[in-house]
Amino acid sequence: MSEISCPVSKTIAELDAMIASNRIKTPKSRRIAEEIRVLMEDVAWGRAGKDHLSAMAKLSQELVKESDTPSCATMGNMIGAALTDHSESFQSHVNTHNCPTGECVNLAPAPCQMACPAGIDIPTYVTLIGMGRYDEAIEVIRKDNPFPWVCGLVCTRPCEFMCVRARIDTPVSIKFLKAYAAEQAMSEGQYRNPPQAPPNGKKVCIVGAGPAGMTAAYYLALKGYGVRVIEQLPMAGGMLMVGIPRYRLPREVIDREVDMIRELGVEFEFNTRFGWRVHINQLRKEGFEAFLFTIGAHKCSPMRVPGENDFAEVFTAVSFLREVALGDREKPGDKVLIIGGGNVAIDSARTCIRLGCKEVVLAYRRTRAEMPADEEEIEQAEEEGVQMNFLTIPVEIVGEEYSMTKMHCVRAELVAREGSTRMSPVPIFGSDFYIEIDAIIVAVGQRIDHTIMSDLPDLDWTRRNTINVNRATMETSLEGVFAAGDDVLGPATVIEAIAGGKKAASAIDRYLHGLPQRQLPPVPVRRSRTEFLKVPASTKMSLKRPEMPLLNYNRRRVTFQQVELGYEENAVREEARRCLRCDICRRCGDCVAVCRDRMGIDALHLGYLDFDHPVKSDFRNVAEKCIACGACAENCKNNAMQIHDEGDERILSLCGIVLNRQKLVFCESCGAVLGPAKYLDYIDKRISQQTTAQNTNRYLCLNCSRKQTAQQHDEQVVPLF
Amino acid sequence: MLHRGDRVEIFRKSDDESWQNYMDEFVGAHGIITDPDTSINDSDALVEVSLVDKGTHRLPQDCIRKLED
Ligand SMILES: Cc1cc2nc3c(=O)[nH]c(=O)nc-3n(C[C@H](O)[C@H](O)[C@H](O)COP(=O)(O)OP(=O)(O)OC[C@H]3O[C@@H](n4cnc5c(N)ncnc54)[C@H](O)[C@@H]3O)c2cc1C
Repeated sequence: MSEISCPVSKTIAELDAMIASNRIKTPKSRRIAEEIRVLMEDVAWGRAGKDHLSAMAKLSQELVKESDTPSCATMGNMIGAALTDHSESFQSHVNTHNCPTGECVNLAPAPCQMACPAGIDIPTYVTLIGMGRYDEAIEVIRKDNPFPWVCGLVCTRPCEFMCVRARIDTPVSIKFLKAYAAEQAMSEGQYRNPPQAPPNGKKVCIVGAGPAGMTAAYYLALKGYGVRVIEQLPMAGGMLMVGIPRYRLPREVIDREVDMIRELGVEFEFNTRFGWRVHINQLRKEGFEAFLFTIGAHKCSPMRVPGENDFAEVFTAVSFLREVALGDREKPGDKVLIIGGGNVAIDSARTCIRLGCKEVVLAYRRTRAEMPADEEEIEQAEEEGVQMNFLTIPVEIVGEEYSMTKMHCVRAELVAREGSTRMSPVPIFGSDFYIEIDAIIVAVGQRIDHTIMSDLPDLDWTRRNTINVNRATMETSLEGVFAAGDDVLGPATVIEAIAGGKKAASAIDRYLHGLPQRQLPPVPVRRSRTEFLKVPASTKMSLKRPEMPLLNYNRRRVTFQQVELGYEENAVREEARRCLRCDICRRCGDCVAVCRDRMGIDALHLGYLDFDHPVKSDFRNVAEKCIACGACAENCKNNAMQIHDEGDERILSLCGIVLNRQKLVFCESCGAVLGPAKYLDYIDKRISQQTTAQNTNRYLCLNCSRKQTAQQHDEQVVPLF
Repeated sequence: MLHRGDRVEIFRKSDDESWQNYMDEFVGAHGIITDPDTSINDSDALVEVSLVDKGTHRLPQDCIRKLED
């Protein structure tokens, strides 16, 4: 890589080298150095505020004062000097939010990493998986997400939607690769926690042991905080444990990953409901200096139809799924009607099938096309026997004595309302009908239970009844109180909860150390520049995303066994080889332009480079026209395109994809490399001055060719007698 | 109605209270819907969208429009 000229990038590189060299001995100096590193990165990414530079200057002076070793003082002085000597450049990063040299941007993460709310360095871990280095892959993932196994099974995988490979055929199966690596690492005892900082004497209290709370607990514990997690249920996991059914996420997976967090000394207080027996003032007296609320959205929205509150057989989806998860395996009834069309409705329906309900019908107001649940989930539910009733609006629950007997419904049609392109369901007059049932499960959305937070009357809420936070820092309107996860976003996803927990942990750390908060949400961090997996172009194109093997239907209908059986190792390794390594190839298109416009060859047809208008790409076609001149590699700023000679071949590769291999031609006189024949022909055609002594039909290098010409000349001179 | 995988553009700033200052720079960005409202298809719900080079965010729907294929 070329020399760094941006003072911010340069200072970061020097700082990294010093931190890595272990020459800073005391924990305090290390902490200061790492704090400076965090702030410096904010500057590099254009997310620093007005206090960042002064805070760094102050910390660098502290480092000089601490100077436990000469290196410490050197580092403090180096940072102080960089801040003074290049103050203009630093200011420009802060004020204009970009790096004048463009170098900080050269560290830009791949689209998949950018898409991951938690910012996991996906290309790095996918490559490590491709090499069979599963434990290292897990180490990389856990720098940003302490739940690789859970996410490998249930993540909504925004990364795969942005995967560049999808512009060629199908996205890399990132989610399942992660699950495989986690399972392997765990089973081989290679799933380990990173080193933990020594205790710093500060205590943080987290309310709610869902993914948001536990993620924050993990990162705070790693930084040396004493963390207590208060949880109303008898176990950790939140909706992972009591929402998502076991056939999608086995309990053992959650337990094993939670155990890793417990291993760091995080204290869990179960069966304890905040706001009942435990209050914030009491906790403050115990010495907790910061609070994080991650209480989720566990209250079900009502259907608002008569009879809803009159019968014991009307369940809310969240409470039904929770009871099943906690061990109640009694079926709600024989004929069950689920109201709703989202993922929670589908989970409830599939759970009913497994509990032995004879008829499970799902009623939804709109058509299948508008169903908000995932297509795959809908398909699997139908395969298992769930019946779908579309365009059905519930009107009233009808019963006799204290038992319900049927649901009065009406058919709907979709009508565009005035001023809106959205189609809304409107009841069709006279289309009433009844569905005979003995239980109903209502799955029409979840909300946050406000009453939990009555201890904090001044807390600011949004009009959506979520906790109002600064989304860059997760700070609420109250000093020292943070919030993350579903209680901030409304019912969302596991990976967003994890991202929120991580952001909150970092903001709490800054708050407790008096450091300025970042002004923008964090940008993902590249964790390494892993070497490429070498793959021939034909293999790269012909490898196909593997199908996920599923449990057979019969077993799916009667047990809670995991439905997705996971990939075999061979499939995993092959799938990892489909990754295009967009962390290195930034799709600037310079290689294509150089080849087409400057060389006039036009061998590179990489249609996938454009997000908006991707056209056909086929790596195999490159070799047809490519002359292996190396102009593309020469102009690649990130060293993604490479050309090198190996034995008697010249090889052109893009992020490890072997695009072209051509036999080399050697000087027939001295043996020096001349280049591939195609290239030599090209040169011959382009320039009048020939490099090869064509007149003799011999391949000679420039030197030997000159010598030969001189010799011929000598021979032609009339000898002197 | 937005679905997973829809290609979209952030065509304007939102009037919604959930819009934060740093989101101004999202205007004009293209992306993909990664998590629409998966429970009730509420036009008022915040939806998750992954924007090219700008990360994944939950945004109000009044600033999002679908791109034609
Ligand atoms: C049925 C269902 C299926 C889902 N499937 C998926 C999926 O496949 N993929 C996906 O990404 N997302 C899925 N989700 C969403 C996902 O589970 C949530 O977005 C995520 O768990 C939110 O995490 P959280 O930490 O914010 O809250 P939660 O996971 O809800 O955790 C909150 C915790 O706080 C505790 N708590 C609440 N009040 C108190 C109190 N007063 N005192 C102490 N503790 C308290 C709760 O008991 C709970 O343990 C699903 C949700 C449901 C309901």
